[in-house]
Order: sequence, then structure tokens, then C-alpha cells
Amino acid sequence: MIAQSASTRVRQSAIRMFAQEYSEASLVEQGVGEFDPSFVVTKIGARVNRCLVGGVIERLERRDADSGPYYSGQIRDPSGVHYFSVPPFKPELHPDIEELLARFDSGDRFLMIIVGRSRWNESEEGGIFTSINTESFSVIDRTAYQSWLVEASEATLRRLDAYSKSLGCELDRGSLVAAEVPEELVSGLLQSRAHYSDFDTEAYQLFVLKALSAARGESEESVEVAITPAVETVDDPGPEAVGVSEPKEAVMRALSNSGDGLVDYDTLVGACISAGSSREEAEDTIEHLRDVSMEISEPRFGFFSIKSE
Amino acid sequence: MTDKTTYTNQIAVVKQECPDADEEEVGQEFARYEKEFLIPPEDALRSVISKFQAATGVDAAKGPSVPVREEKKVQRFSELGADDRNVTIEVSVVSYTPRTQMVRGEERQIAFGWIEDNPWEAGSERVRWDYKDWGGKEDTLLPGSVVRLEGASVNEWNDKRSININRTTRVTVLKEGSGDPPVGDEPISISKASEIEGFVNLVGRILSSKPDVIVRRDGSGELPVVRGRIADSSGSIGFLSWKEFEHEEGALVKIVGASVRKFRETPEININDGTVIEPYHDTAFPELEELSASTKVSIAELRNGMRDVSITLQVENWNQRTFDANDGGKRVVRGGDVMDPTGRCRLTAWCEFDPEPGDFVRIEGGRVQFWQGSPDLVIDDIDQVSSLSDSPWDKLDPENHWVGVGLSDITKGGSRRGVSTVGTIVAINNGSGIIERCPECRRMLRESSCSEHGLQKGEEDLRLRFVLDNGASNANLFLGKEPAEEFLEMSMQDVKDEVSSTSSQDFVSRLQSLVLGRKMLVHGRCSVDGQGAMVFAERAEIIEQKPAEEAEEVMKRWGLVL
Repeated sequence: MIAQSASTRVRQSAIRMFAQEYSEASLVEQGVGEFDPSFVVTKIGARVNRCLVGGVIERLERRDADSGPYYSGQIRDPSGVHYFSVPPFKPELHPDIEELLARFDSGDRFLMIIVGRSRWNESEEGGIFTSINTESFSVIDRTAYQSWLVEASEATLRRLDAYSKSLGCELDRGSLVAAEVPEELVSGLLQSRAHYSDFDTEAYQLFVLKALSAARGESEESVEVAITPAVETVDDPGPEAVGVSEPKEAVMRALSNSGDGLVDYDTLVGACISAGSSREEAEDTIEHLRDVSMEISEPRFGFFSIKSE
Repeated sequence: MTDKTTYTNQIAVVKQECPDADEEEVGQEFARYEKEFLIPPEDALRSVISKFQAATGVDAAKGPSVPVREEKKVQRFSELGADDRNVTIEVSVVSYTPRTQMVRGEERQIAFGWIEDNPWEAGSERVRWDYKDWGGKEDTLLPGSVVRLEGASVNEWNDKRSININRTTRVTVLKEGSGDPPVGDEPISISKASEIEGFVNLVGRILSSKPDVIVRRDGSGELPVVRGRIADSSGSIGFLSWKEFEHEEGALVKIVGASVRKFRETPEININDGTVIEPYHDTAFPELEELSASTKVSIAELRNGMRDVSITLQVENWNQRTFDANDGGKRVVRGGDVMDPTGRCRLTAWCEFDPEPGDFVRIEGGRVQFWQGSPDLVIDDIDQVSSLSDSPWDKLDPENHWVGVGLSDITKGGSRRGVSTVGTIVAINNGSGIIERCPECRRMLRESSCSEHGLQKGEEDLRLRFVLDNGASNANLFLGKEPAEEFLEMSMQDVKDEVSSTSSQDFVSRLQSLVLGRKMLVHGRCSVDGQGAMVFAERAEIIEQKPAEEAEEVMKRWGLVL
């Protein structure tokens, strides 16, 4: 018991991780005691209490809660979008994020690195939405971001490798250690393998390759892939966008802005949230538009377009 | 004597659980249990507590204590879940090892050992678990006995489950034990014995043995003991015998029922009245010379509390100082920095040893204590040192002798000096920048006040505190004034000027944009304890990032092609 309470004081290391891995996680572990750490466990076994993530700023806004102002935003990496917030109880971060907000609102976009703690919301149907509670952040230059891409790629490759090693194993600690799964990944893999059904890791390999190519790329084009949002979401939130608009409008606007391209689910949800809707409303709206009013279609799983007449 | 004074200890425990209970009444209840029901107060504890919980209305909903859970009665450990409380089970006690442990700043006597379930069946049918005794049940948990535990709880740590026996756990002896440790188990290797705590049997050759005394802290006198070292082909371990020990150096012995305990960070075999030592015959067992060679260590392997250390060193510098001893006389202590290919440490000599910088020396029978969080080798007698004429390695350059160690290896290893490591900065901790120190003790002042010396006129100092992280491990990183000035390329005065023209928060913000998420190479020393690792930098620099090359390397390492 002593060892356990001591262990909670040991700092959790920051997991380097791309957005897709984190957003697909649905297994959470709530710490038992007040100070016990909580974790989000990803499909390939990262046990995330703290993470180090990077990307281009895609949304940032101030909201008011009962306990004071907080900030909510998104950064995009080659795989998708991380949702982060700067909570009211971190007032020391507020001056710096205000400064970034002013830059963002004036139309500036920039690369960020964020260290934060994992958090999640649970929908009534039991869906888990993961996000990040910011501990510290900084605007970084392209080189520093590329370097983070490499680090996150290697960390992901390491987890993918451990995951594939675990496939042929009995799910116990001894077997995984014998299969040369690195020590710090064993607990997470035992949890993830027991919770998630087997899945194809090809998508994960793909975004790692995308990230490495962006990190390596000297040419502007290939870098663009990494640091420009694959699809523009909403327009820069000018004064008219601040007001609450219907989530349906936000979805349709995001889709029409993309022209003929497909828009992924996270971006649509993000667009609705930016327009002032809740996540649940966004989800419901997208479902409604797809299944009931059939105004949009989903040609590929998770990617949407306006239904052609 | 009233019931209230007779049962003071038990009443205190009840009061913890039921703060509103009347002490007189609790005392009377214990008296009633003892006299009327013939249940001694230790065993009555649980019954009394539940009675007063009901009486004073303390229940799961509003009580400050852990909710009272329904009793879970099981036969086998396998039926228990990770968070089961209030467990009732019959077990056989295999071992009981007392130990003093710091619990929330207080020294407490606890004990640990093994218990086995299914105690009425043969040993092969049983499952063995660790347990910890927090409740001082040494009179009932005798090795060899079978007991019923009521109100025990399950503890899970690193996927391993064990049983906690608490103060409120009732232990009923069902079959008396002899108190002797188990015998007949096969001996285990010394390297294996070094990794566990508890009772062991082993076969080994005595490397050294000499009488010693332990001075009792309370001044009540001295205890004669014998200290020494024993080895087999897997390694060697120190021993401490609390009883006569007449086996000589070189003798091969079998030791049955000794306990392994840790002295500081070093495991040690304890030999006491219950331990049996007998001569052992095995012509194939390695000879003394061969085993002695295996006791040589390197600086990286030094741990606090080691004894009988054999090590080869290169002297970096040496000096001596004289101080006034307690008895009024003068004493001289000599010391300096020493190195080997795995790192560097201090060497302190309480004897007339005067090497020159660059000398190679061999130490036999040295001991290790801690000095400012780093291992310090100590020799007490000039006979422990010999000079080497042949160089054991190419002479190390003291100006540039750093041993690169991965951050994860640092956090898993011991405290050491002369290391360099790499990690990404993920946090800037509070107290970075200009701080004020207490002129008495150098502690940092908070609101001009020292936790020890009260209000003080502080002395200004510059310090940076970061967290280094590699994704799997992390360490606190400290930069004192000089390394901080060098790192910032600013003098302390420059930093003061910046802080006074803006604010300390602005300074930290600027620092953040400089270091957050950046990889840093650090040279310095590290100190590792139960709270984690700390790295004290002598110099620190941000590594220039070359993402294209880094990406190529990663792709090569993982066999990827674009």
C-alpha cells in the first residue's frame, strides 16, 4: 500500500502520440484514489496519462464556465485532430493563451507543441471522447515540429511493433515479456488486447509514413501535407461566426467549402463545436443528415460529402 | 487501573473509526469482551468497532473511514479480486520478517512474509502469496502456524496481488506453529536471493568474516555481531550474523533459514537464532580465488550501504583537511574524486593515504555511504589500498570523462556522478529564475520565510528547474547558477534586469518558448530514490534538430521505405 501511494507521486512520462491513435481510444482507467493517475489506453497499448503532442492550430476560442474562463482548441497533425483545453484552474497559462488567441483571431496560424494530461467525456451511449488538459504549450518552428514528428513516429512504430509481437501471445505479462515487448508497454498491451477487437494497423502505418515524409521533406509541398489542415474547416471565425449557428449549417458549410473533397468526421464535429454546438448535438446532426434527411453521404467510412443530386 | 487506561491502544483504533464513541464505554466493552467472552482485546477489536459504528451512526455513507464492506469469505486466493476488502480466509504462515518502515514520516514496525492458502492440504496444492502485516500481529503469525484471517484486504501492485493484514484484522490461530522458518526447501542462488526479501536457504563459500559491534541507538550498550561476505558462482552478498559465527574464510557452508533484508539499498543476509549453518561438501564448487574475482565492481554498480567493495580506480584529484573531533583533538580526513570507465565518484580515506592525480589504485573491502546524494567510497585502513603499476585502462581525461547513460537507465539505476544523458523538456517547474535563499541553510525562501529559520533577509540566486522526459521515463533536471548562466547566455544580473523590467512570469514564458519540446543534452550527476530521479547539470545544451536526418535514421531502424 505504501508502495502504491508512493508510486502516484512518481511523475508520469509524456507519451508521444498522433491524433488518430488518441481519438480512436475508448478504453479508460479512472484512478481509484483522489491522487491516483487516470489513463486512456489506446488500441496499440499506449497508457496515456500525460502526452506530448504537436500540430498546427486549427481552432481556438475562449469560453466562460462557472469556474471562470477556459480555452478550447484543436491542433492538427498528419493523422487528425487533437482536442485540447486550457482549464480555468490554470490561470498562469491564461496570459500566454490570450496572446495566441489574439494571433489566431487575427487570422494567424502556427505550429504548437502541447504537454497535457488525458481527459475524456462519456456520452450517454457510452462513447468515449478523448481530449487533452493542457499543462504547458509553446509555439514552435517548423524544424522543431518536424523533430517532434520523428519522435512521435518512432514511438508509434515501437508500439505497433509491440502490438504485432503480442498477437501470437497468451495475454499475460510473462508471455509478452518473452515476446520482447518493451517493459513499459506490457501493462497497456494487456489492457488494450483484452478490450479492443483485433484491427488492421495499416492506417496507423500510413500516417506514420506521412509524418516521416513530412519530417524529411525539404520541399515546401511535402511539408504542406503535414502542416496545412487537410481540409479547411470553418472560415476564420470573424465576428459573425462567434454567434451560435445551427450545427446543420456548420456541417453544410464545412462540406461546401471543401468543394468536391471529402471531409472527415472529426473536422465536421469540430466545425459544429466551433460554431457553438455541443459535441452530442454535432454527432446527432451528422447522423441525422446522413441517415434521415440524406443531405450528406459517407462514401468512405468516416469521410463525408454533400449528396450529389 | 480503569478499563480506559488498560485498553488505551485499542480505544485509539476504535476512535479512529468511530470518532463519536465514548472512551469509557469503549473501554468497558473491551473489558466485557475480555472478561465475559474471553476474547482478548486484539481479537475483539473488529467486533467492538462494528458495534460502535452501528451505535454512533457511523456508516458507509457519512463515515470518514473506508465504507464497511460485506465480509467475503473464500477458500483460495484465486477467488479474490484486486479490490476485495474484509476478506476471511484460512492460511498457513510460511515466513514472518519484521521491518521498520517509514510510514508518512513516522517510523513504524511492520512485517512481511509469505502465506499459503488451502492450509490443510499438501504443499503442492497450495498457492503462495506475499503479505504485509501493518497491525503488529507478530505473536499470532508464527511461521508454521495455520491461522484464520478476518478483515484482511487484497492489495494489487504491478499486477501482483498480496494480502494486507491491518490493525483491525482478526487473526485466529487454528494450529500452533513452531516459529521456526521453513526447512527442507532447496537452496537458491545468491543472485536470486539478492532480489527478494524474506527467508532463503543457500550454499556458498565464505569470502570474509570479521567480528564487529553494533552500538544501540538508545545508549544501552553494544551488540557483538559478525559481518562478512559469502559467494557462489552467481555472485556474492554480505551477511550479518547476530549469533556466533565460527566458519572461516574459504569454508563452504549451507545456510538454512536466513532472512534477506535491505540495508539502505543493499541486500544483506541476516543470520539469527533460527538459522542453521552447516559445513557443505561439493568438490565442484568454485574456489576462493575464483569467487573473489567476482566481487569486483565498477563505479556504476555502487549502491548506498555496500560493504566489502573491491574496485579499481583512477585518482582525479586529492586533498586533505583537518577538523576538530568531538573529543577535542584534531583529525584529518583525506579525499578526492576518482574515476573508472563507468563513471566517477568520491573516495574518502580515514587513513594516511596520499595518492597523486592520475594514479591507479585498487581498493579492497571498501564501504559505500552517500554524500550529497551520490555514492562515496570510504576506506578506513591503509591496508585496504594498493597501487597498480600497470594501467588497467587507457588513462581517462578528467576534463572530458562523461559516461553516456540513457534516461531510462538513469531512472532504473543508482545515484552516480559523471554522466551525460538526453531527454526532451516537457515542463518548467516552479522556482525557476531568480529565487531567494536562506542565509543559514540555503533553502529557498517562500515569501521571505524559511521553513526552518523563519523570516530572513534572503540571498538572491539563479536556478532553473525542468523535467526531462523520453516518453518512457522522466527526471527532474536542476541547473544551478553557473550552468544556468551558461545555458541562458545571460548573467544573473541580466536575468534580474529582465525580470524587473517585465515579470518573472514573462521570463518563464520566454524560457518556455526556448525549451519546451526541445531535446537537451545534459552533463552532471544524478540522484535516484523512491520519488524518482534528479539530474543536477554541470552543463546543459539544446541539441540542434536535424529532422531530415532523424527521419532517415528512424526509417532505417524500422526498415521503412517511402
